[in-house]
This record gives sequence, structure tokens and C-alpha cells, in this order.
Amino acid sequence: MTCSPFDLRDYFLRELPDQQQHQVEAHVKHCQPCREELERLRVTEAALLSLPDEEIPQRIAFVSDKIFEPAPWRRWWAAFWGSASRLGFASAAMLSAAIIIYAMHPAGRPPQPVAAVPAAVAPIVQPISDAEIQARIDAAVTRAVGQVEQRQMEKTRTLVSDLESMRQRLMVAAAAYEIDQKRYNRSRQLEANYGGPHAEEQR
Amino acid sequence: MIFRAVEDADLIRQAARGSVESFNLLVSRWEKRVYNYLLRITANREDALDLTQDVFLKAYQNLRKLDDPGRFAPWLYRIAHNEAYSMFRKRRPQTDVDELEPEGTETGITIGGNSVFPIELNLAVASALDRLSPDQREAVVLKIYQGFKFEEMAEILSCPVSTVKSRLYTALELLKLELAPVKARGVS
Repeated sequence: MTCSPFDLRDYFLRELPDQQQHQVEAHVKHCQPCREELERLRVTEAALLSLPDEEIPQRIAFVSDKIFEPAPWRRWWAAFWGSASRLGFASAAMLSAAIIIYAMHPAGRPPQPVAAVPAAVAPIVQPISDAEIQARIDAAVTRAVGQVEQRQMEKTRTLVSDLESMRQRLMVAAAAYEIDQKRYNRSRQLEANYGGPHAEEQR
Repeated sequence: MIFRAVEDADLIRQAARGSVESFNLLVSRWEKRVYNYLLRITANREDALDLTQDVFLKAYQNLRKLDDPGRFAPWLYRIAHNEAYSMFRKRRPQTDVDELEPEGTETGITIGGNSVFPIELNLAVASALDRLSPDQREAVVLKIYQGFKFEEMAEILSCPVSTVKSRLYTALELLKLELAPVKARGVS
């Protein structure tokens, strides 16, 4: 036991609030037994810390493998949403776009007075040639095919990303299984060494 | 240290959103500390390495359940503690957990007959640590080697702060006797 106003060990381990820490500090300056006790704690800690940390013999591998890395577009997507500045810029851009669209769109505005239609307006009918009709049909078909292809590509991309994520999950599960298997084998080995119920079987 | 904590929190958030790269970075930052914690409580390199792999696997699988990224360290060490004690229980199912001893010998952490630390330099420390109970030793490891606060230790060990302090202070008294014996007054 020491005569310190608060537990000297709490002080040594820096677990006291600041004010109490200062009080003990002031006390220790004038108290020889507490100073000696503190010194012993310091020597003990220094001795303990003389045992150095070891380097890990091998890096943890199951998540460092390339196959666990997400697809580039997914990384870009995650990075995009992970950045506050980019998110802010995107929000500002969307807001600007919305304002411009609102400014240009007539919906919601008071109806404008319609100018009087001149009495004699000739019907505007222009003859369309067969070639032009064919060209328009071709263009429409091309556009529709393009849209279908784009939809197909989107679906394929989604499927590929789902497969990729399933593959990652499977690899993690496989790694877990491998570790368990190793541990099980070691347990069996130990059991055999200690003459457990499966010792005979092991031998 | 503050910057490091902030960066860790960012990595945890990104990893929880599925960024394996961020998790890898997190692993590279913590693997040595976790490994050494497990090495000191299991006293076996192979076990410590296997358990470290398990710990990060579990952490990866459960990262979304971590509500506060600022509590990552005690959360990770809680997993490590549970994994180590689960291994002890499997090895000796009939023994009470409080009585479980790691496989180290009187001369400290060994594997295949070789001491992990230089015996000439560290025999006294290794021997003093060996004489502690597993609970006391773990308290010393978490406080002195890993630098956790009492509240964090209580979270890791799943026990009240008073229990943590009691284990640690008993251990420190025993270690002091071995490593810093009282000098006779007037003798330098």
C-alpha cells in the first residue's frame, strides 16, 4: 500500500483523469516510498517490454489474393460513392440540371395567350418518297436493335458481377474450410499423441 | 495516432461496403499486433498464426455488424480472445476454462524445442510471465504490450472493469517481485 491520494498503479498506467493524475504527480515529488514504488513499476514494465514483438511468419493470405479484388467498374463505383467531394459535385450537377429543365419546360407555367390562327392556312402535306420511308424504317430498326443490345449488355454485366461476388464468397468459405480442416487434423494428431479415443484409429 | 484512427475508421466503412482492398489494408495494419497477442497467450507460433487467420476471416464476415468503427480494436481482439479460448476448450474439453494453460514451457514460448525469444536476455521475464495464471497473463498482455484501456479490456474479456484491474494488479505484484525486487534501504 502507498500513501498516494489515488491508486499509484492507475497513475502509472495513465488511467486516472487529468486532475487526479496531476495530484498524484505532485504527491510523488515529495514522497520517497511512492517514488520508489513507482520506480519498481517502471522497472517491471521495462523488463516486460524487453520481450520484442515477433514478425508474423506469413502474411494473412486469404484476402490478399487477386481473385478477391472486385471488378474495376465496381471499384470505380465504390470509389465514386466513397468520395464526399465527388458526391457533392454530382449532387450539384443534378440540381443544376433540374433547374435548367424546369426553366425550359412549359409545364406548370400560366398558359400563354395563343395567337390567332390565320384564317387561310393551307394544309401542310409533303409527299414522302418510298426511299425515305425505307430509310426511316431502317433507322427505327437500328435504334431498336441498339436498345435491345444495350439492355442485354446491362443484364450480362449484372450477371457477371453477381457471379464474381458469388465466386468471392465461395473462395472465403473454401479458405475457412481449409483452416478448419487443418485444425481438425492437428486436433486428431494431438489426440493421438495424448492417447485419446481415436488414438488407435490414428495409429 | 488520431490520424491513424481516422484512417482505420474510413477503411472499416469501405470494407463494410465490400471493398476487399480496404480490408486487406486493414489486415496488413493489424495482423502483427493480433498475431503477437495470440502468440503471447497461446505460446505457440503455429496456433497463433492459424488463429490470426481465423480472426481476420471472422472479422471479414462480421464487419457489417460492427456499429462503431472507432471500436474496431477491442472488437477485433474480442474475436481473437474468443477464438483462442475456443481452441483451448477443444483441446481440453474436460478442463475448466480458468485452469486452461497454454502449451508454453518454463522457459517461455517454444515450438519444436526452440525458444522464440533469446533465453539469455529474456529468461527472467519469460519465466515470470509463465508463473502467472492465463487470465493474469492475458491482462498483462492487453495492457502492457497492446496498450488497451481498462474499459476496452473489459469489453475484450467480457468481464467488469473491477475484475480486469484485480487480475492485472495481482499480476503486476507477482511480476514486480520477480523483476524489480525491493532493494534494502541505503544499499544502491
